[in-house]
Amino acid sequence: MNDRIVFEDVSKFYGEILGVNRINLSIPAGITSLVGPNGSGKTTLMNLMTGLVRPTRGRIQVLDYKTDDPENLFKILGYSTQFDAFPKGLTGFQFVYSYLRLAGRTSESAEQMAWRAIERVNLVDAARRNVAGYSKGMRQRIRLAQALAHDPKVVVLDEPLNGLDPLARSEMIALFRSTAAQGCYVIISSHILHEVDVISDQVILLSNGYVVAEGPIHNVRSEIQEHPTQILIRCSQPRELAAKMFEYPQTIEVSIHKDEGGLLLKTRDADRFYLTLNEMAVNGIDIESIAPADDDVLSVYEYLIGNEEAVR
Amino acid sequence: MKKTVKGIWWAQIKAVIRLEMKKTFFAKRGLWIYLVAALPVLLFIAYAIATSSQQNRSASVARQGVKRLAYQDLLAVKPGMTSEEVMAILGKPPITFHWTEDRPTQDGTNGSIRVNHEDFHYSDGQNDLFVGLANGKVESLNIRQGINLGQDSIMFAAVFQFFFLRLAVFFGCLGIFMNLFRGEILDRSLHFYFLAPMRREVLMAGKFLAGLLATCTIFGLSEVLQTIAFVWHFPPGVRDYYLYHNHGLEYAAIYLGVTLLACVGYGAFFLVAGMMFRNPILPAAAILIWEGINPFLPSVLRQFSVIYYLKSFCPVDIPASPGTPAVFALLISNSNPVPAATAILGILIVALIALYVSSVQVRRMEINYTTE
Ligand SMILES: Nc1ncnc2c1ncn2[C@@H]1O[C@H](COP(=O)(O)OP(=O)(O)O)[C@@H](O)[C@H]1O
Ligand SMILES: [Mg+2]
Repeated sequence: MNDRIVFEDVSKFYGEILGVNRINLSIPAGITSLVGPNGSGKTTLMNLMTGLVRPTRGRIQVLDYKTDDPENLFKILGYSTQFDAFPKGLTGFQFVYSYLRLAGRTSESAEQMAWRAIERVNLVDAARRNVAGYSKGMRQRIRLAQALAHDPKVVVLDEPLNGLDPLARSEMIALFRSTAAQGCYVIISSHILHEVDVISDQVILLSNGYVVAEGPIHNVRSEIQEHPTQILIRCSQPRELAAKMFEYPQTIEVSIHKDEGGLLLKTRDADRFYLTLNEMAVNGIDIESIAPADDDVLSVYEYLIGNEEAVR
Repeated sequence: MKKTVKGIWWAQIKAVIRLEMKKTFFAKRGLWIYLVAALPVLLFIAYAIATSSQQNRSASVARQGVKRLAYQDLLAVKPGMTSEEVMAILGKPPITFHWTEDRPTQDGTNGSIRVNHEDFHYSDGQNDLFVGLANGKVESLNIRQGINLGQDSIMFAAVFQFFFLRLAVFFGCLGIFMNLFRGEILDRSLHFYFLAPMRREVLMAGKFLAGLLATCTIFGLSEVLQTIAFVWHFPPGVRDYYLYHNHGLEYAAIYLGVTLLACVGYGAFFLVAGMMFRNPILPAAAILIWEGINPFLPSVLRQFSVIYYLKSFCPVDIPASPGTPAVFALLISNSNPVPAATAILGILIVALIALYVSSVQVRRMEINYTTE
């Protein structure tokens, strides 16, 4: 009996292109947000979780099920994808209804469950109309209704707030909360952190296919703020600089380059470093270049939480 | 417990078929399939109309005659008879035509002799006899048969083998079965099925059956209509004779059976092809060529083909007229027909192999269309 969604060293490559790499996760019940800029691998992670794509490496388990067992997996899982195409010619009701028929429900129970789900997403009035005529927000909701229709324990929603107006957003957020309150696993993705941070029990930050931070939202926030900065320095006396930096507890790691012409420094206090560096420069150390070694991660954080909170 | 699992599978298959029917039967893209299925029907209707207007003419000629004639009577006229002898057998001709000709003399001089021609047209109501007389003697005889069952069934067989089976059913199955998965990958809606708590194999079975339902209905109906159009213009006596004493009904049933088997065989082939290839042209051409060169293959390979078995069934052999290039003769010849049971089994096994490959394929399938 497994009560988590587990990724063990999972990688997915689309041919040469990296989707996600070396993902290790263990997701408990509650609302979990996957946050990252476009192309960071959110959809890939969700498709892996639901078996729509297979991992190139690694192992995935959703509660007690393998992802290559759709017959059982989707009994407990509902997925509202980011794919915006629908089977042709269906009304909103028929879309949800036929999904339930595919699940093997009788016509009466499918009809009843479909209407209940459509009510939950507040789309009763439009349900008899063809999906082809829906607005983006309506399509978003009918997909949500389909994902929730069979009362799944795990609900995976890819950018569910995208395309919704503020009122609809707060309705949907209330829906996520009530679903999570029933003990469900609600996984939502977003490329805007502040859109989901207040409702999330945990956040997973993705960048370029890697998980860069994970955990309860306040932990992630402080992790971002305390995130060690890596700095590459080319200078004439790297050993002296290293010795000086080791006097400060915020310094985590220093490694001198083989050619004795530079060093890599990992510190939680970049300001202190720059100050020290300035002092030493005055005292005759010859500095060739300074460059942050992990610019990518920094820029992601800036993008996600806004400049005022970013490191540096 | 096992029974309920199977019950759910069956319910799911039916749900898939219901969703697929719209696409297999009513897709705008698939309109041409109805056209190719209708083409041979139209051909036989046109043929029936032409033949029956000919029949009406013959009947009216027969009515105008002074004697009621039988086919035997028409055959009794021989070259060299005088016009009196002809009229003694057949009566005064209902239609006559006179003309004269100046025939050059044979002896090399520039002179000529006048020849008086008389043409008589008789009919027994179905078959026409044209008698050409020169100076009162029968010079030419020409019988036009109203209905020639032998020739007509060869025509039917040729249309069936060369147009219907090898082209219409072949490309119809291509259009429908190849699009079962490919079509939904192209319009990016396949994930809808993949999100349901359903085995992928069950989905595949449902789609295959939906394709079978459509192709069997369309082409089975076409075959039935072709047969009706084909026998429709026969006079009632001939029709009964053809249907009940000349294997007509039996052949019709066999042709229908072959059509349905072709849908199963080609359907399974194209289902796999549609999953393995993005571009339908290449596999279609490959299968067409494979089926085309079938007669030239070693017998082991020949068995992995649909047409190999179907050809064994076709009840009417198409005679290769002398002078047919050997290549074509091989195409139509039925050198080593397999027994019916073996042929049915063969097609079913070929289809099962194809379905097995596609079930492996469907389990490995990924949604690879992107979100943007
Ligand atoms: N089907 C695909 N084929 C090739 N590359 C893909 C495919 N799907 C996603 N990718 C690539 O994988 C990376 C992650 O994409 P995706 O998971 O869609 O990110 P997100 O959902 O966060 O925007 C991107 O670089 C994207 O271009
Ligand atoms: Mg995405």
